[in-house]
Formats: sequence, C-alpha cells, structure tokens
Amino acid sequence: MSRDEVKIGVYICHCGGNISDRVDVAMVAEEAGKLPDVVISRTCMFMCADPGQELIAGDIERHGLNRIVVASCSPSLHETTFRSAVVRGGLNPFLYEHVNVREQVSWVHASGRDATAKATTLVRAAIARVRHHEPLSPIKVGASSRALVVGGGVAGLRAALDLAGFGLPVSLIEKSPKLGGRVEGLGTVFPAGESGAELIRTLVEQVSAADEITVLTRTHVTGATGYVGNFSVTVSRDTGNSSAIETEIKAGAVVVATGSTPYRPVEGEFGFVRFPEVVTLPDFLRILDQARSGGALTVNGRSIRRVAFIHCVGSRQIEGIHEPKPDCSLNLNCSRVCCTATLKAGSDLIERFPGTYVYDFYRDIRTYGRGHEEIYERASADGVVFLRYEVGAPPQVTEAAPGDAGSMLVTVRDSLTAGMEIEVAVDLVVLAVGMEPAEVGALAQTLKFPSGADGFLQEVHPKLRPVELAVAGVVLAGTCQSPRDIEESCASASAAAVKVAGLLTRGYVELEPFVARVSAERCEGAGACVSQCEYEGALKVVEAEVDGQTVRKAVVNGALCTGCGACVAVCPTRAIDISGWTLDEFEAMVDAICADPMEVAGD
Amino acid sequence: MNVRAATRVFDTLVIGGGIAGLQTALDLADLGLSVAIVEKDASIGGKMIGLSKVFPTLDCASCITTPKMAAAAHHENIRIFTLAEVSSVVRRGEDFTARVTLKPRFVDEDRCIGCRLCEYACDADVADDFEGGLSSHRAIYVPFTNAIPQIAVLDPEECNLCGKCVKVCPTDAVVLDQKPREIEIEVRSVVVATGFETTPMGARSEYHGNEIANVISPLTMERLLAPHGPYGRVLRPADGKVPDSVAFVQCAGSRDRSLGVPYCSRVCCMYAIKQAMLLSGSLPFADITIYTMDIRAFGKGYETFYHNASAMGIEFVKGKVARIDEVDDRNVEVRVEHIDERGQVEERRHDLVVLSLGMLPAADLRDRMPIGVSADGFVTVPKPTIEPCRTTEEGVFVSGTAAGPKDIVDAIAEAGAAAMAVSVYLKKKEPEGCAACAVTAGSDTP
Amino acid sequence: MKTDRILILASAACAYPGADAVGQAHLSYPANTFVLRVPSPVVFPESFYYDSFEKGIGGIIVMSCGVECPYEGAYEKLAARLDRVALGLREREINPRRLKLTSICTVCTKSFLKEVTDMNKVLAAEGVAA
Repeated sequence: MSRDEVKIGVYICHCGGNISDRVDVAMVAEEAGKLPDVVISRTCMFMCADPGQELIAGDIERHGLNRIVVASCSPSLHETTFRSAVVRGGLNPFLYEHVNVREQVSWVHASGRDATAKATTLVRAAIARVRHHEPLSPIKVGASSRALVVGGGVAGLRAALDLAGFGLPVSLIEKSPKLGGRVEGLGTVFPAGESGAELIRTLVEQVSAADEITVLTRTHVTGATGYVGNFSVTVSRDTGNSSAIETEIKAGAVVVATGSTPYRPVEGEFGFVRFPEVVTLPDFLRILDQARSGGALTVNGRSIRRVAFIHCVGSRQIEGIHEPKPDCSLNLNCSRVCCTATLKAGSDLIERFPGTYVYDFYRDIRTYGRGHEEIYERASADGVVFLRYEVGAPPQVTEAAPGDAGSMLVTVRDSLTAGMEIEVAVDLVVLAVGMEPAEVGALAQTLKFPSGADGFLQEVHPKLRPVELAVAGVVLAGTCQSPRDIEESCASASAAAVKVAGLLTRGYVELEPFVARVSAERCEGAGACVSQCEYEGALKVVEAEVDGQTVRKAVVNGALCTGCGACVAVCPTRAIDISGWTLDEFEAMVDAICADPMEVAGD
Repeated sequence: MNVRAATRVFDTLVIGGGIAGLQTALDLADLGLSVAIVEKDASIGGKMIGLSKVFPTLDCASCITTPKMAAAAHHENIRIFTLAEVSSVVRRGEDFTARVTLKPRFVDEDRCIGCRLCEYACDADVADDFEGGLSSHRAIYVPFTNAIPQIAVLDPEECNLCGKCVKVCPTDAVVLDQKPREIEIEVRSVVVATGFETTPMGARSEYHGNEIANVISPLTMERLLAPHGPYGRVLRPADGKVPDSVAFVQCAGSRDRSLGVPYCSRVCCMYAIKQAMLLSGSLPFADITIYTMDIRAFGKGYETFYHNASAMGIEFVKGKVARIDEVDDRNVEVRVEHIDERGQVEERRHDLVVLSLGMLPAADLRDRMPIGVSADGFVTVPKPTIEPCRTTEEGVFVSGTAAGPKDIVDAIAEAGAAAMAVSVYLKKKEPEGCAACAVTAGSDTP
Repeated sequence: MKTDRILILASAACAYPGADAVGQAHLSYPANTFVLRVPSPVVFPESFYYDSFEKGIGGIIVMSCGVECPYEGAYEKLAARLDRVALGLREREINPRRLKLTSICTVCTKSFLKEVTDMNKVLAAEGVAA
C-alpha cells in the first residue's frame, strides 16, 4: 500500500478517569491528529464498552480508515476486543496497533505533564508502526479431534466423560494401576455425606461404558511435542514386567488433571513421627473408613478416647514464623477443603464412636461452601470443643506424664478464652494437612507449563480465561491448578472440557499468524537462519527454479514456527521477518521515540 | 448488536445476563449452539459491572466484564433480550416453551443511537440505584456508562410527561405509549443464571442499617471506590466529609439462623479486604478496621491478599459486633465483643461503617417453571459433587450464584461447566446428524 | 540530540506483563522509559542496538524471560549476542553499561523498578540525563 493511501484512526481512552486523571487525553488526541495521514483522532470515556467499539467500526466505514490505533489499558486486556471491533468495521484485524497508556503510563507516572508527554510519544510510535502493518490471516491447521486427559482422578474422569458425551474421542491416562485418584480414600465426603468410593465407581462405570474413551492405566507421559490441534504425546505403560511399552498419542488438546498430594509434615512438626499416634487427616479418614462403628476407635491396637484435630498444617504459612521446606518454599495459601473435612471427620468420629472427646485447634474456621456451615453447626452440636490459636503460637504436642488421660498433651494459648493456657490430654492427634501440587513431570517440562509462586499450574487469567494455560490447547482441571473440593474440581473439569470441545469440534484450529516469513527477492539461501532455528522442520533451505536457474531459498512451515525471531537477527540480507513484528516496525518506533520533543525529566 | 429479529427458536434459554449467564452463553455459542439471554434489567452485566475492582488481582471489574458483555452482544449465535422477564417455562415433550414479558422501555431499541440528547433535555431527577442512590439520573437515561445495549430507558414513575425528550430525539425513538409485550421462545434446554441480591441492610435491627446515613452497603462502597463513581472519590454520604476512620462489619447478613441465612455468603471477607485495601490507597491516612469472627480467604491467592492487607496496616479485630448507633457529628459507634485474647466489650467510633452483607437468591422461579429450590432458597442441585450444574429437572441447568453464594472466579468456572452439561445433554437428545456438534475431521489414533 | 530516553525491550510472555504488574500495583518510576513489547528480544540484530544509540537512545534495557523463555534456546542466543554488542559498544566508545540484559517475570515489580533506577543512574553519571 503506498503511503498516500494510508488513513489512520486514533482513539484515546479515558478509562473513566483511570487514564484521563493523569494523562491529558484531549491533548494526546490533538497531537496525534496533527500527524500525516491521521484522519480521525478522538477520545472516549470507555473504549472497551460497546459505544467505543462501535465508534471504531463506524469510523472505518464513514471515513474509509485502513489503520487503527487505540491507546487504552494493557493489550492483555483489550487488544483482541479492539481487533474484533476493527473486523466489524470491515478491516483486517491486524491493521491495528495497541498503546498501553494505563498500566505503563497513567498508573506509574505521578506527573500529569510527564504522563501526557510519554503517552503522546507512545501514540506517535504506534502511528509510525501501524503504517507498516499488513493484513494477516490466522494459520488454519487440521486438528486431531482426540483429547488427551492426563490423570484419572475425579477431575480427569469428569472431563473425559464430558468430552466423550460431546462425541469426541478421548485418551485417558493414569499413572497408578487404577482410576479414581484420591477421592476414593476419603470415606464419606461433604457436603452430603456420599461415599467417595461410590462417586468414583459411578464415574468409572460411565467411563468404561463410553466407546469414545480409551483408558490407559499404569501410564505416564515421557515427552510431548507439537502445538494446539496437533500434540504428539509419548506415554510409557508399565506392563508389570521389566519392560515398558512406549506409545504415541496424537491429540488436538490436552486436559491436565494431575491433581495434588497432601502435605507431609516434617519430623517433629506437631509431634509427627515422634509419636506414632500423630497422623495426617487423609490417613485418619482411611482409618475411620475402615473401622467398624461402636465402642472405641482403635489405632495401632490402642483404644482412642480423646482426639485432637489441628488445622492449617502446611497451609497458610508465614515467612519468619514457619520453617521453610528444604527448597526454601512455604505454602502461603489456604488449602480450602481441610476445615470442612476436619469438622466432618470430628462429627463422624463422635457419632460413630459415642463417648469420644474431640478437640479442634483452629485459626479461622472456613466452612464457606453450600452445606458447609451446617457441618460446622453439626460439629458444635456433637460436642466438638473448639480452641483457637494465633499463627505465632501454634499448639505444642508433648509426651504425657504417667497418669494423664492420654498418651500426648496438646498445649495451646486459647484466644476463645481470653488467652488462657489450656492443656488437653489425647490419644490421637490428627493434622489437617494442606494440598501441594502433584508432580506433573515430563508433560510440563516438554510443553513448558507455567506455574505460580505456589507451585500450582497457572491459568492465563483467573476470570477472563480461568481454565486455560498459556500453552494454547492445554487446559486445567481440578487441583493441579489450586486446592479445591470435589464439586469445584468437577466444575473446573467441565469448564476445561467445554473449552476443548470448542477447539476440536470443527476439525481445525486457527493459529496466530505471527510466524517467520521470507522475502524471496532478498533471500540468497545462505542458511544462517536455519542454523539458528530450534524447531525441527520449521525452517529449511530448498532449491527452487527461478528464471531457469536453480537457486536456494529459505522456506517456513508456519504450523511449526513459534515466531521467536532467532532467525531474523542473523539474516545477512534482512530477508526474514516475523509477520506483525518486523524489524522495520521496531525501527520506525525507535525513530518516533527519538524524534519526539520530550519534556520529561530523567529522575 | 446481533439481532435475528424473527428467530424465536433457540437451543438454550439462559435466564440472567450477569457474568455467569454471559459466560455460559458464550461457551455454548462457541460450540455453535444458539442462545437466548433474557435479562430483567436494562443492561446486561449483572452485579459485576457495578463493582470497582475485583479480588485477588485488583483488576478493574469493568475491564473484565465489558469484553464478555461485548462478546455476547456481538456473537452471531446469541440473542439478548433486556428489560425482559420470564413469566413461565413449560415443558412441551422434549422441549420447552418460555413466555417472556418485554417491559416497556419507552424507547425504540432499533432507533435509539444512545446520544443522550433526551437525557440532557429531561428535567426530572431520580435517585440513581446503580450509584447506590448517591447521585441522580434523569427520568430518561442511559443506565450507566458501559451499559449494553447503550440505549436510553424511561422511568414512567418519575417522568412528568413534559415531552422534551420526544422533541429533541434526533431519531424519533421515544415512544411514550409503549406497552408491555409477551413473546414466546422455543428452546431445547434452560440455564438458570438468575444470580443474587444482597441481604437487606435492616436485617439486624440492632445495626440500624436503614436509619444511619453513614452506615452503608458494600455495593454503595463499590461505587464510592469506582474511578467513575458518584463523587469520583470516597466521601461519606451524610455530609460529604472525607472519612478518617472506616470500619467493616462482617457477617452482617449471614451465618445466623435467626436471620434465615444460616450459611456463609463466601465473598464478604474478601470483598471487605479488597475494599479496605482500595480505601487505604485513596485515603492513606484513614484508620481501617474489619470486625470479623473468622476470615475466610480460601481461594487461589486469597490468603496472600489477606496477609498483604494486614501488612498494609488494616486492623482485623476478631469479635462480634453487638450493636451500631449514631453518635455526635453523624459518627457511628460500634459495640464489639472481642473474641480474641482481650476477651472484653468495647465501644469504638468510626466516620463510616460498611455492613458486609451476604447473598440471597435473586429469584424464586418455582411458580414459573419446573425447578427445585432448597431450604436455603437457592436452586437444588441433587448431586453437587460430580454434577454441579444439574438441577432436579431434566434439561434445566444452573449457573453461578443461583446455586448458592460464590465469588466471580468460581461463578465463571461453574458457568463453563453449565455450558458443558447443556451441550452433552443436547447431544444425547439428538444423537444423529446434529450439525452444530458434528466432529468433522481429525485423526483417531489412541 | 536528547539522550535521556530509555528503551525497554520487553518479552511479551514475562517482562511486558511484569511492567503491567508495576502499574497494577500503582508503583512509580520516571517517564523517560519506553517499553516495546516483543515476542522475544532475540529478534534484534546487533545493528539494531548500535543504530538505536546512534539515533539518540540513552540506554537500552533488554528484559527477557531469562531461562523461563518460552522459546527454545532464544535466551542463550540473546545473551551471546549482547556480549558481542557490549564489545562493539566499547569499540564505538559508548559506555557498555548503557545496555543491560536482565530477566523480568510477570510479578517482578521490584526488579523492574531497580533496573529503571540503575539505568537512570548510569545515564546521570554519563551526564546525559536531563
């Protein structure tokens, strides 16, 4: 497109004061409007809202605009929003440039003058860049309709059933010998007291009956390659003999349902290991599930009359108070399910073994869910005795003296009784341990999954894209993302499944067009680019006939190219560029940044 | 906005255009299914669009909601009816017929261009509910800045029939004699996403929530904190004073059988902490106190959020608030029974007090459609553990806070789950040749 | 020619969201900073750096994802290239401290601020900052 055909529309958002309280948006628009080829330059209270979007679409039609620049919040929030608006106006979505004047201007620069000057410069740079933009189209690649679900716990089962119910073929792999995960061992589960084993049986029966689902147990991922629509995941199946069988699964999308593991207390933490009758909550639930009701509960051959439950073991840790793990990490977060599970266990214990005394040592009771507060009320009605400790003064578990009512003493400064020092003799201590992410292993390493500071897999955004991983085509189900109960795990599994269904139902997926492209005129076939490329098959030099002569030219496979740009930097003839991110564009922006008269101080 | 004018047949009816209903509709529409959203208010967006910023990321709520609102409004598979109320849903064989009342807007939706000339011409002031009654709008008005659809609505109670709006309207869109209309929608499935209302301000008479001007609801505080809110900054409503001391009273409408709300409302701890943090940003010298029994910061990143609030100097007082009274200079006195190590009763004075209200179901649809409702007033979910969106009625599903209090993160996840459940249900009902769900290509190796 | 401007080449996956996080926390830093979002800074040839200084850029901070880089081998190549550019800058009698390679993650708000402060100190010492 020749220069005189360029017609640019520029829009500056107030963000309801978020931007305009610092940046003189009218002045930015006015300055932009003075630049050549800028046909329209406006401000708007909320560009992201419908009127703002319609303004763009309408102006394109009314004024024949062919380039659009919007200065608003971060592109992570609204770049796609405005690209859609550009499309509604009849333009290619990539003839658009986004300027971040909120997160990187109005929110970080105290002086209105500086902020306005910087915003003006950034808008000029964007205008300089947008001239170079060319229409781009998404790369359409055929997609396998198969979904791979990794992990056969309750979330994996739920996701597999949903996808099969939608008509998609599913491979469900589970590293242990049988499906079911941790729910099976929980005994009865809140809120309604159903049997965990029964819930799993229901789901596993449906999975077995579904023709669409192929189940592979004793199987783990050893590596994965590919991209959305075309993942190739190698799995190794333990045959029970010494040999393992390696298989390759081709899948269009991957549901990660690798779950969590209970925190294992360190030796001596609340008497753990030192006293054999200090157990974790999951261990206790198994004991309770297997015990016959009536009389007294028996553990290690001893009859249990008095039980202490201690909350927040390995959760809600605080720097400087709790001992970090060998890798220096602390679990700062709440594990969400332990309060309700603990109270339910206490009630179950009293109701099944009448006469048992239960003491509950807590920081805050978090029975937040539907039907959970009733479990709290039930525990109180059953006679559970509550003692509250402050984070800096956790209960101490020590050996009881001969003649005491139990084998251990739990001592606490109880804030419910105005900080009274209270000592309770008990036969059993149950530690309500938190959840830690389970090892995801080779799948996470080879496909480069991002994790948060807490070690759990990190979604793109908790509200905008809550079940998607930054790796396109990979979604999260259940507790691999964060602690949650069965209901929440199943909800997230189904939410993950619906995203996969949306991806795979058409038989193809569309990929972003930001991949390398080669100028046939400039390329001399030297191959410097190929030597830099890390992606097998993405870039190669081929021989071609041009005007009767055999010449060497680089060619790109757009489905395999990741658009990293390593090739771009080394081309001796500047023949290769990343579509949408060309060197010409970056240079034009630097020119604009340097050229603009800037009135801001350094520091 | 996408409107397929004559079409009244859809795969799914979504009742409620809040964040949960929108997410469910978007996920269904992305699968190629057609969706009708019926929203009782003049704009979609629900409660979320009125919030300032949202925990734990402190994103601006509008920035998260508006893209979803716009995506739904522009989606070719979604049709939105605003100012519309479902009057009945009746099963007809495998399908349902919904009767929907379209309330008069007194403005022609197709003609109005949202220019607001009518609003500028109107003389009648009305307290603005969207702004917690702290500011006013005209009798004819566009509901709020980022409303969708961006068209005017007239409040017939407040209109003085002067006719100025009719005269100034450049598109002759004002129709003062508009009547309610009944339409019928044929659908194959229904999603209830009717959301929540807050518990009443007057629920605990000893808190005098309806009588003391400087005792406000959390939604009012959201508007005070919103960058485009009624005052543009935080002032107390009674006298416009900048508050030096603000307190939050937790569980002001929840966890109390005597109020009929025995359950935990699940969001109040976090929104109070969030509001406290935002306040300490806009009023750096104010004392901020949260009176609470337990702090329930259970979600991903929430505990760190709570911890940061403590580190910022927000005071958490473990105690039960026994009563709240107005004292001199329109200040507010809070009588608290400490349940921490102090173990005593104390009276403390604040400039402004927020009652952290809980959640009630916004709608009881039992007399209008086949659906089960539990003792807590929320839609019954017979098997919440492994089928969290299925109701007692086949073909009827639930999304978001209609099935019990939850925060935005959880409501959005559950909304996706509802869409999955609906699509699997529809697939089962139509096993062969459903074009919308056909899997067209792809390898099938295990 | 003004030379007080700092060009920040920020990786789209880590450093750019990191810069956004600084904004979300409403922290403050000088306004002579211009962030360019880029898939990976490995895209820039050596000449881009020399040209930018030539055009009047005072300092360049390359904020990559470091070893967390989503692109295979890109960080190593970038680091090697910037080592060569540092030598090239010396030859051109430009203080190599005016170019800095650092890793910034999506929540590295403090590191982001420190890099900006440090570069402004370098520029002040050069006598180029306003």
